[in-house]
Amino acid sequence: MVELPENEAKTLLALKEAQGRLDIKGIVDKSGLADAAVMRAALSLESKRLVKIVEKKETRVSLTKEGMTYAEKGLPERRVVTVLEEMGGEAPVETVIKSAGLEKDSLVIALGWLSRKGWAKIEKKDRKLKLVKTPSKEADENLLSLLNEKGSLIVEVLDEELKNAVSVLKRRKLVKVNEQITRELELTDEGWEQAKKGIAVAEEISQLTPEIIVTGKWRQKKLRRYNIQAPVARTWPGKRHPYLRFLDELKRKLVSLGFKEMAGPIVELSLFNCDALFMPQDHPAREIHDMCFLKEPEHGNLDKYQHFLERIKQTHEDGWKTGSKGWGYSFSMLEAARLMLRSQTTAASARMLINKDLEIPGKYFSVARCFRPDVIDRTHLPEFNQVEGIILGEDLTLRDLLGVLERFALDIAEVDKVKFRPDYFPFTEPSVELVAYKKGYGWMEFGGSGIFRPEVTLPLGVEVPVLAWGLGVDRLFMMKAGIDDIRSLFSQDLAWIRNMVVV
Amino acid sequence: MPTVEVEREDLESLLGFKLPEEEDRLNEVLAYIKGEVKTSGEEELHIELKDSNRADVWGVEGIARALRGYLGVETGLKDYRVAGFSGVKVHVDSRLENIRPYIACTVVKGVKLTDAAIRQIMHFQDKMDQTYGRSRRKTSIGLYDFDLVDPPLRYGVAKPTEVSFVPLDFDEKLTLEEILEKHPKGIEYSHIVRKFPVWPIFKDSQDKVLSFPPIINSNDLGKVTAQTKNVLVEVTGTAYETVLRTLTNVTVALADRGGTIYSAKIHYSYDGVSEVTTPNLDVQKLDLDVGYVRKVVGINLKLSEIKVLLEKARYGIAEASESKITVQVPCYRVDVLHPIDVVEDIAIAYDYNKIQPRWPQLITIGRLSSEEDFRNIIRELMVGLGFQEVLTYVTTNPEVLFTKMNLKPEKVVEIANPKIVSMRSLRNWLLPNLMEFLSHNTHVEYPQKIFEVGYCVIHDEKRENKTRDVEKLACVITHSNAGFTEAKSILEALLTSVGLKYRLEEMEFGSFIAGRTGRILVQEKDLGIIGEIHPQVLQNWGLENPAAAFEIDVSKMQQLVRK
Repeated sequence: MVELPENEAKTLLALKEAQGRLDIKGIVDKSGLADAAVMRAALSLESKRLVKIVEKKETRVSLTKEGMTYAEKGLPERRVVTVLEEMGGEAPVETVIKSAGLEKDSLVIALGWLSRKGWAKIEKKDRKLKLVKTPSKEADENLLSLLNEKGSLIVEVLDEELKNAVSVLKRRKLVKVNEQITRELELTDEGWEQAKKGIAVAEEISQLTPEIIVTGKWRQKKLRRYNIQAPVARTWPGKRHPYLRFLDELKRKLVSLGFKEMAGPIVELSLFNCDALFMPQDHPAREIHDMCFLKEPEHGNLDKYQHFLERIKQTHEDGWKTGSKGWGYSFSMLEAARLMLRSQTTAASARMLINKDLEIPGKYFSVARCFRPDVIDRTHLPEFNQVEGIILGEDLTLRDLLGVLERFALDIAEVDKVKFRPDYFPFTEPSVELVAYKKGYGWMEFGGSGIFRPEVTLPLGVEVPVLAWGLGVDRLFMMKAGIDDIRSLFSQDLAWIRNMVVV
Repeated sequence: MPTVEVEREDLESLLGFKLPEEEDRLNEVLAYIKGEVKTSGEEELHIELKDSNRADVWGVEGIARALRGYLGVETGLKDYRVAGFSGVKVHVDSRLENIRPYIACTVVKGVKLTDAAIRQIMHFQDKMDQTYGRSRRKTSIGLYDFDLVDPPLRYGVAKPTEVSFVPLDFDEKLTLEEILEKHPKGIEYSHIVRKFPVWPIFKDSQDKVLSFPPIINSNDLGKVTAQTKNVLVEVTGTAYETVLRTLTNVTVALADRGGTIYSAKIHYSYDGVSEVTTPNLDVQKLDLDVGYVRKVVGINLKLSEIKVLLEKARYGIAEASESKITVQVPCYRVDVLHPIDVVEDIAIAYDYNKIQPRWPQLITIGRLSSEEDFRNIIRELMVGLGFQEVLTYVTTNPEVLFTKMNLKPEKVVEIANPKIVSMRSLRNWLLPNLMEFLSHNTHVEYPQKIFEVGYCVIHDEKRENKTRDVEKLACVITHSNAGFTEAKSILEALLTSVGLKYRLEEMEFGSFIAGRTGRILVQEKDLGIIGEIHPQVLQNWGLENPAAAFEIDVSKMQQLVRK
């Protein structure tokens, strides 16, 4: 006599009673075990070669919402034919349709099927509908009635005619089909043999309970062995957003390199977003296709900054005391007060330079959402993130700037080698573009940088060199996460976010 | 950033050498002028030029001029001189003073024009008009066959229907008004002149029209062909210096094609301005402190080295001592505002990649902002409570913020010029974005628990930027059994974890079910709102499971925690 755990014994007995073959539901009914318990027992019995699990495909057909309407009211073509008959077999199309109570959108469908089924045709001349034959109920209509009555049917057991009707109605989107796998258990020869010999139930414990533990009952019984390979329900942990996690890591690295975090507002004054950065007021990048301006109010208040503003104005006009010629135009205070959504994080750097807590030497960074009027596609977003920073120090040079860029590329972007290219920004001179090589990706542009122009620093009261850098973090993350569509950064796909591997 | 189209063969003939075929190598060469190949074909190259200020390299002639220097083929100052007076006098009508007051002209004789050269010059003219001339508002350029023109010339005004002529590429006469309505250039640039009662017109002594600046040239006089030998160049505009600099750049480009430069005299009758001779080809002198060069670049360049580098960048050297160099800045370098611009050119000529990078040894202490520290605590707690963090856009629209949330629309901060209408408003609260997020995930496994910590923006008249950024936390739970109680238990876990005691005050709010909505009060301060989502809202978002949510002001919470 074989000794089996309780659930397996019950399953085997139920099978024996059913002459050796039964589906899971049958076993559940007979044994009183839960669905999952039967499945677990079956897997275990299969591994002992006592039963075989046979999978059977079952296709279930049911009505769609539209199908239900037609099942109630009849197919549009049927409704037309019925009315047509009542009208004596011939009538103008519009009249028939109206009497049949069809909506505009089912008109085309009805006419199409009338001619396809050969029930009626339209006389092109007078747009009259003529009955060709009085049709009896066909298979598709039979199927509709059946489904209306029973809710759903199993396709495999239907006759050929109804099977065809299923595919016709499926194309008409009146029914939907669902494939289901049903599982049946079958006793193997060995299973039969053992079942005949008799089965002893092993006293086993599956779920430990406080009672079993406290009373010490577990000492008398056996703790059931589980099939640890059995699949389990999925748990979705709470996680940080993958992109924000990447930015957290980036911030951590910057802090470890001695950078302090700085910030600025989302709605920014042109003064900081542009004017303090020596962008002339008619600069093409200050036009409506490059910056998002505020609808209302259009202008902010510059009272707090009069002192700097006067110097900035003069610097734009004739260079003030910076040694520059300036842009040679008449600076508008109103334009400097114009409000816009921050278009570059450099605005925060400009604010930092006039902050009373500014330290020299000092290193600062900021990570911020920036805005531009743009479309959304694989490579463009109207909102994007920038990481920028500044380094202030008495003797900083271009050589130091290159050192900073190299460090970022190797430490933060983990690239293999770097190269520098001359670049241009209105607010830095010299300006450098960081180009980095990473195996598998080739050469890529990673960020822009430079030394702030004297026209930027002097009016803000800073007399030491200021190295400024910005990293294309969106691109950096995409590379790291293996994404080639920038829209994924703001992905609204929960499954995608849940499944992102944390690295 | 202008992108210029260059015909390879024409560029190579100006350069006097072949360009590398391979794109990477070509980019290395173009890096000297901050250029990068966008597309390269056998015959044509599209080069993006990053310097939106250095107009001299937006044409093939200027590119060749600069690259010949950097590559050592021809270094030092290129001398451009006026050979004499062309005999062209231009009388300017005083009524132009408030319309388009300035004009500058030159005649370049004996230019060798091929079809390719004409295409390239037209292209340069277009780039100058677009970028440096701010889409012709500030300046615009006209080129004419000088041999067809009868000086003296008049830059005057005309009423919209007073004058008619055949505009370029047309075969019928049109009045100025008709040109603005029918000619493609007229339609494109009409806004520049429309606001004035009379419009600029440029004529010769026989009353023949040369052009209608800044719109279009005459088809008879204003057309340059391969047969044209002597070219009259005119620039009109609203900014005097810019007009002169633009003319300088076109003039030297034509001179690079073998032309000889002749001047014109402009007679103004505005107060304080009289006769001016153009073009201005003067070399500017700039004193460069040798110590400053070393201090910026960070390497100890020898004086002789600096001199060689300057000449590669096509500067001239008037005088040089151990401490100071008097640099001659060529007339076409309109971008040089400060000695720093010259220093950059020295560094570029030296080659950035030959400078040994050095990590600056500055003693500074790194630190996250206190806001970031607090934000991270909140995020950590929410993750610990089993919530998935999401990231959504700050910009959205009133339908999302109010209508779908079962609320009456309120005034929010809006963008004047959005490219995407559905992203025109700045969110004033966060939950609508989360509901929108859920609406895209009805097929994804439940329970769904999501949160976001993000900025909202609200009007605030008292502040310098008339708005205030408010950082908020919102979270929502949805599954077949979700409800108020679960949300409250999460809220309680969060607030007690940061040591805050709270109480809920019953309130009515359209987005939530009445009787299952509460204002969150901490020390009697309004921290936010909690509730079970109203079925109407669920339906608006196409959600089939119940949901509960809360939203709190993170900045306020931080202040309360600090106390």
